[in-house]
Order: sequence, then structure tokens, then C-alpha cells
Amino acid sequence: MAAQTEVKANPNMPNHLETATLDGKNKVLGFWLFLGAETVLFACLFGTYLALRNQTMGGPDGQELFDLKLVAAATAILLTSSLTSVLAMMKMNQLNYKAMQLWLGITVLLGASFLGLEIYEFIHYVHEGHTFMSSAFGSSFYALVGTHGAHVTFGIIWISTLMIQAAKRGITKETAPKLFVSSLYWHFIDVVWVFIFSLVYLLGKVG
Amino acid sequence: MAQQPNTSNHAPSGSSESATKHVLSFLLMIALTVVAFALVMYDIVPTNMILPLILVLATIQVFLQLFTFMHLNQKGTAFYTIFMVTGILIAVVSAVGIILM
Repeated sequence: MAAQTEVKANPNMPNHLETATLDGKNKVLGFWLFLGAETVLFACLFGTYLALRNQTMGGPDGQELFDLKLVAAATAILLTSSLTSVLAMMKMNQLNYKAMQLWLGITVLLGASFLGLEIYEFIHYVHEGHTFMSSAFGSSFYALVGTHGAHVTFGIIWISTLMIQAAKRGITKETAPKLFVSSLYWHFIDVVWVFIFSLVYLLGKVG
Repeated sequence: MAQQPNTSNHAPSGSSESATKHVLSFLLMIALTVVAFALVMYDIVPTNMILPLILVLATIQVFLQLFTFMHLNQKGTAFYTIFMVTGILIAVVSAVGIILM
């Protein structure tokens, strides 16, 4: 907290705290390279799913399984969390510690409720006979949506630990790049979900 | 420190404007999502038109995310864009390759 008030008193704090130091600049640059690689990872999983989605081995297909109301709720939650994440970064650059932590906290809570919905959905599917082992459709579905869910889980843990660090050290030139990069990660998770709800759920309902 | 001339560092100024911008692009994303869901739920267009339409809607939404929430519209982001565009190019080639295999 002491660090935070110190920062607030300094009028020479730059507009973009996350790229104020060379270290911060490199963190953000490196993270974009990582996001480019992640795009390729998810594209391969999407390609695999789209190639195999009709191979259900007599099990239930997407048209029977998917519940668009649940997907719409999950989409609304994740989209909103993307907004709260960007608002947190705005408050960070205004050196408004309390508002930043509040928005980050809401982001984490929304992420956790998204994850809860996904776990409920997967349990429901397993009871319907749609498992990782049941068919090529099942394997490719869980590989794709599960990898996204794992990213959400990691994002929740990451942002939570950064909130603890920010509570200890305040908003500084060291903590700001970390928080900013975790926010980029969170937006990327949302970007991937946009394609999941379009190409998995909506396309699955069409047949 | 305090007496140094300081022109570019007024963090609070213009902040409400950028919050409005973020909320507006968020509302636009919600609208695009609602249109995509409505296309599928209410049989508005022929079935063979749905895939290209929802792909276009998803792409617009992703560009909104990249350029507003992820700040690719700002100066000094050329390398970020190069990394992302390279990633997307390899991604599209890989995905299309796997689907057609």
C-alpha cells in the first residue's frame, strides 16, 4: 500500500505504465509472439474438430446435445469479463488501485462462473453418452473446448495471484506489465470463445 | 521531479472518453453475438448461408477485440500486429489443411 501512494504522488508517471520500462516493453512484445503461437494451436484443434465432428459412432451428435441457452449465457459471461478486464487496465493506468482490484475481482468471478457452467455442461454430456473416448467427435470436441477451459482456469489463477501481488506492492512499473499481459491473455481467451460458440455450438445446431 | 515540464503524462484526462469507447465496442460485440445466435435459432437465412455469415460475424468481433480491448489501434504496436498476422496466416493454412486432409 505504501508503494501505491508513492506512485500516486509522482506526477511523472507515464501514460502507459505497462511499457514504461524496457522490461515491460519486452514482456508485452514477447506475449504477443506467444499469442500468435496460441492462435496456431487453437486453429489446429478447430481444424481437427471440424474434420471429425460428424464421426459420432452412433452416439449423440451436436444437434441433440448442445443447449444454445446455456451457450448464450456462457458467452455473455465471458464477453462481460473481457470488458471488466479492459476497465481494470484503464484504472491501472489512472493509478486507481481500488477500482482496478474491484474490476479484476469481477473478472475473476465471471471467469469462475463461466468455468462452472462448462463443468456442468461436460457432466451433463457424459451422462448423455458423449465422452472423450466415445467417438472421434467426442475426442475432438473435448480436446478443443477442454483446452479453452484449461486456459480459462489458468487465467483465473494467474489474475488472482497478480491481485495478491498488487495488494502487496501496489501499482508499480514492475507489477503493471504483468497485469497488462494477463489482461491480454484474458481477451485472447474471449477471442477463442467467439470462434468456439460460432463453429462448435452454432454450426453444430445447424447440422 | 515535480517542476519538470510534463506534457504527455496526464493519465486521468480523457479517461472517461476511453471508457465510453470500450463500453460501445462491448455493446457492438454483444449485438454481433445476438445476431449470430438469432440466425441459427430462428431460421432467418437458408442453411447453407449460415456458416459464411457466422464466420464473418465472428471475424468482425475478433477484430473489435484486437483493436479496442487489446489496443492494437495504438501507436508502436507494429511488431505485435506482425506476430499476430503471422500466427493467423499459419493458423488458417493449418486449419484448412487439416479439414481438407
